[in-house]
Amino acid sequence: MEGLEQIDREAGKDSFMNSLDGRIKLISSMLIIIYAVYSTNLLILVIMEIYLLILISLSNVSPKYALKRIALILPFGGFIALIQPFFQPGNIIWTGPFGWLHITDYGLFFGALLLSRVTVSVTSIVFLSSSTSMQDLVASAQKLGVPHQLAMLLNLTVRYLFFFYDQLMNILNAQATRCFDIFNKKTTYKWRLRKVGETITMMFLRAFEQGETVYLSMMARGYSDNTRIYRSKVKLDIKDFAFIGITLTLIASLQLVKIFFL
Amino acid sequence: MHIPDGFIPLWQCAIYWIIALIALGYSLKWARENLDEKNIPLLAVLSAGIFAIQAMNIPIPWGTSGHMVGAALIAIVFFSPWAAVLVLSIVLILQGLIFGDGGMTALGANIVNMGIIGGFIGFYAYKILKGIGRIPAIFIAAWASIFLAAIACAIEMSIAGTFPLVEGVIFMGLYHAVIGVIEGVITVVVILGIDSARPDLLPDWVSSRKSEVLE
Repeated sequence: MEGLEQIDREAGKDSFMNSLDGRIKLISSMLIIIYAVYSTNLLILVIMEIYLLILISLSNVSPKYALKRIALILPFGGFIALIQPFFQPGNIIWTGPFGWLHITDYGLFFGALLLSRVTVSVTSIVFLSSSTSMQDLVASAQKLGVPHQLAMLLNLTVRYLFFFYDQLMNILNAQATRCFDIFNKKTTYKWRLRKVGETITMMFLRAFEQGETVYLSMMARGYSDNTRIYRSKVKLDIKDFAFIGITLTLIASLQLVKIFFL
Repeated sequence: MHIPDGFIPLWQCAIYWIIALIALGYSLKWARENLDEKNIPLLAVLSAGIFAIQAMNIPIPWGTSGHMVGAALIAIVFFSPWAAVLVLSIVLILQGLIFGDGGMTALGANIVNMGIIGGFIGFYAYKILKGIGRIPAIFIAAWASIFLAAIACAIEMSIAGTFPLVEGVIFMGLYHAVIGVIEGVITVVVILGIDSARPDLLPDWVSSRKSEVLE
């Protein structure tokens, strides 16, 4: 959540990718992720990663920022991928000093495959969220058929993410001014845990009460269960069709190359 | 516990997605029938709050840090597992779509683990155990919601062939048994805090107190 403001700032920049319709970027990113998860060929995943990095560079997003975001998300997936060579069955290519640790050829391949899939998928999400504002993402999901009730929930949640991010920062700053450090081991763990609990209680109550206030404000403006969010109809233009066409062609070509040549 | 993309084959992802979509549909139906039109604004803003709560780092004794999930907390406060399914689904959708925290193809599995299993275990464990005392019941319910969701995650990874079952259950089980204790303690502190500040938000708690007074 720390990167919330930066994600929003990057998504608000002017670029060719930012100017594309959100629906097209959402569909393309999901197709890339689905194909990456389906793919079992490392070369194909490398090509897809290069394609995504080109898209990110066309999004006017700082490469350092994009790589940092990808690297921050990778640890959990990376850890699971890195231990694959030690327990996947296959031909043993290395045995540890006491004979209890083995590395198999299939394990190495499978670990590399998992790491490549996660990297491509995360890069796809970084591309999507760096080139499309959160409100636009939710609006695109609604235009693509997400039920109105769910769309409204997502829409309102996104709107209040920033509010609660500020609230959380206010609470944490106020604690910091009183020299409270949650990781300070000079105070007892039990006491620190209670303080975290009290902070979370505050956040929970503020969220609940804000929810009630928002509900009353919406009611006063005529909100009812049948209320729909207005979305102006935006027609897709040539560049939108060109972008999804290139993405689909790339995926189809990679699949054909895999079938006939790999 | 957020499973990333690529760790579960597509056909298995489809099964988890179907289960998650059915549960999400039921949770929306629950919200319509039980919270009237108030459901949308309240649950949406609360989801944003839970999002922020999940972003808070909580120290873990051996030096690392974790975060709260909150499925049991939501289920106990609203006295329904469907509230947890709905709020956690919203949080997980946005975490996956905006932050890449948890995969999009694995979103169904993540909703099943943290939303459905976390919410239902949290709710029913509390409901069954509240006879032994509310505080131990809340603690055990929150602990079990984390622990069993992690075990489910290990089983799913094992079915997917990405992690062996025994090692996965031991590793995920041990780690989340400790994380679950922290979730349990914090859930107790939060619910006691709500009870002192806004007891009207705990209908189950308040109604049982009334009956205790009447007795």
